[in-house]
Amino acid sequence: MWDQIQTGFGYWDVYAWIAFFLIAGGMVYLIRSFGRKDYKRDTEQDEIFFGSNPVPDDGEELKVPASSAYWGYTQALKPFYDVLVGFHTGLATDYAGWYILVTALVALLILL
Amino acid sequence: MTGNFPYLVVGILFVIGFVGLIFEKNLVKIAIAVSVVEAATNLFIITLGYRSGGSIPVWTMAGSGSSRMVLPTPQALTLTAIVIGLATTALLLSFVMTIYRHYGSLDVRDIRRLRG
Amino acid sequence: MSWQVHLPALLIAVPLLGAFLAPLTALGGKGLRNTWFVLVSLAFTLIAFLLWARVGAFGTAVYVMGGQSWNLALPSGMEVPVRILMEVDAFSAFMVLLSAVAALAGAIFSVTYMDRFSGLEKFVALYFLMVAGMFGMEITGDFFNFFVFLEISSVASFGLVAFWRDRGEALEAAFKYMLVSTLGALMVLVAVAFLYSKYNVVNMAALGKVIEWGMVEKTSLVLFLTALAMKCGAVPMHMWMPDAYAEAPAGVTCALIAVSQASLYGLFRVTYTIFGAFMGSPIIPWVIIVLGVLSMFIGVSMAVIQKEVGRLIAYHSVSQVGYMLLGFGVGLLALSDARAMADYGFTALKGGVYHIVNYTMYKGLLFLSAGALFYATGCRNLNDMGGLGRKMPKTMGLFMIAAAAIAGLPPFNGFVSKLFLYESSFAVHPVLAVFAMVTSVLTLASFVKIFQTAFLGPALKKFDNVREVPGAMLLGMSVLGVAILLLSLFPTWSVNHLVEPAAKALVDQASYIGAVFAATVPGGGL
Repeated sequence: MWDQIQTGFGYWDVYAWIAFFLIAGGMVYLIRSFGRKDYKRDTEQDEIFFGSNPVPDDGEELKVPASSAYWGYTQALKPFYDVLVGFHTGLATDYAGWYILVTALVALLILL
Repeated sequence: MTGNFPYLVVGILFVIGFVGLIFEKNLVKIAIAVSVVEAATNLFIITLGYRSGGSIPVWTMAGSGSSRMVLPTPQALTLTAIVIGLATTALLLSFVMTIYRHYGSLDVRDIRRLRG
Repeated sequence: MSWQVHLPALLIAVPLLGAFLAPLTALGGKGLRNTWFVLVSLAFTLIAFLLWARVGAFGTAVYVMGGQSWNLALPSGMEVPVRILMEVDAFSAFMVLLSAVAALAGAIFSVTYMDRFSGLEKFVALYFLMVAGMFGMEITGDFFNFFVFLEISSVASFGLVAFWRDRGEALEAAFKYMLVSTLGALMVLVAVAFLYSKYNVVNMAALGKVIEWGMVEKTSLVLFLTALAMKCGAVPMHMWMPDAYAEAPAGVTCALIAVSQASLYGLFRVTYTIFGAFMGSPIIPWVIIVLGVLSMFIGVSMAVIQKEVGRLIAYHSVSQVGYMLLGFGVGLLALSDARAMADYGFTALKGGVYHIVNYTMYKGLLFLSAGALFYATGCRNLNDMGGLGRKMPKTMGLFMIAAAAIAGLPPFNGFVSKLFLYESSFAVHPVLAVFAMVTSVLTLASFVKIFQTAFLGPALKKFDNVREVPGAMLLGMSVLGVAILLLSLFPTWSVNHLVEPAAKALVDQASYIGAVFAATVPGGGL
């Protein structure tokens, strides 16, 4: 029960990983405990630094929306994504059409 | 030769159904195309079950001298398939009806809020 | 003879009873209906577990509906397999067990999740019908019953996808799903008819015994392959999947995943058990591999750019199914070659089987947490969310477990099955492994996206009143969360007791066929 899984090429040992995470967590805790504890609470010392502007009340003005995530990635692969999104037309007839087309293609491959 | 005519009809029906599914734009016509494919399937199974000169597979009613009884499986399959087909057609048409209430159209090109 | 002999029949009868009595429970009010919903779900989970344990202990279980033997001797002395037959080997039992767990989690979750809506007795009835159809597909020993159960689970799931019929999108998704699904089911029937036309039997074991490799069988195999691959969402026939999964209520989606896995089960029952080593060409395995690679890559590419939580996770389903198709395709490629099988084929198969259980657990949990987000905030769009980790820490924790598992982060179970798949597909062609790894990276990227935009970030004013979801929903999610943790912490146990018996049963064509024929009197046959 406590041994490893052999895959034929390598092995998987979950307990080594857990030990790794425990050690890493301990190190993180150690580094964190070196931090300064003598700051004054509820003063400007524990405020968020927002480009030296006042921090807006509503988080809505601070947050990064999901559509901005991986902007560079989608921008770089724009031609690929234009094709891919164009492929998902949302037409019900296309759904059936692709199914029939794939069936026909596989049938051609194997029957000929 | 003439024994293969039913298979020819089955093939034609399949093609009609598939063409309707791919090229029709009206939801009701698409539902009809599904029904055509279904009818073709049922006809196919029934044709497979046919044996010329065969009699009904009930021992007491087969009469004397009939040694060729057909296997009743295809009939049973077709009956079940017809019942299932009835249910799916009814459900498909009721979806078409309620979709019309929401979208005000039966054209597949208008019913594509979900895409990409 | 112990009562446990009847477990295969009970497995279908209990959900069916649950379905037909569900409308009556409306008379007893909300409490009775919810109790019924959870009790029947617990009952079929228990039955599934017992069945799995029994098959593990006593080998393949064969059950004949209403008879002692599977065949009927005609007065002429000819014997034909006519009775309704259930055959549960280790692979079926494995599928049944994990589908039951997913369906149980979905049911517990739905009790509170659907509380705000009316007509719930119909919801419960449809849910159980879908579950009964799913179990039927997994344990039937007969192709025509496979079609019937496929239709039962499909038709019930169309109704469930369209359950929120005040939303046009839900109806649209249900219509599209129904269109392709009905077409696919009809093609399954045509495939059954092709096999019937040549062999006059629809029994799986009887077919596997006599099958040859000819024109009729090829046609039939192609129809099975594409119809069932469509049902489990292989690219380019996957487009219904994001629509239906995202629009169905979350608890239903959790069970729908198990239903799609039942279709996958059907696909591999056909390719491995019926054709198996009789398959005379490598084209079919390669078609499965290509479909798998396409699904992996296109599914995950589309997922990265989605803005709706449900659609994003649903595109991941497409890509995860790709992994399984890849694993089973590689296994099928190696099936006729004993050395290749020992070298990498069986590893690939184990990877595929292992991925099925991992996928069902974590994907169910992901959909349930997406449902929890929707329940708490009323939002589907990721752009509208933010800072929810402060309000819903438990949901966030469960989501993190599932997301780490699907992305294959150590020490979670998602990585183990992927490891099997990487190494075995590398042996076939390195490009396959490269695609699998790129997919894994993009998977991680898109879950970081959900996690960052929904749970992290500053607290939003409009979510001031958002609370953690109720305990029953958390319980439903925890069922799957605990399953993931157990699978992760005891990988050796799960490989030895869950995965390997299932994978062995899948390649052991002779024992599946023999189990049926051993159940009859000596000398019986076709």
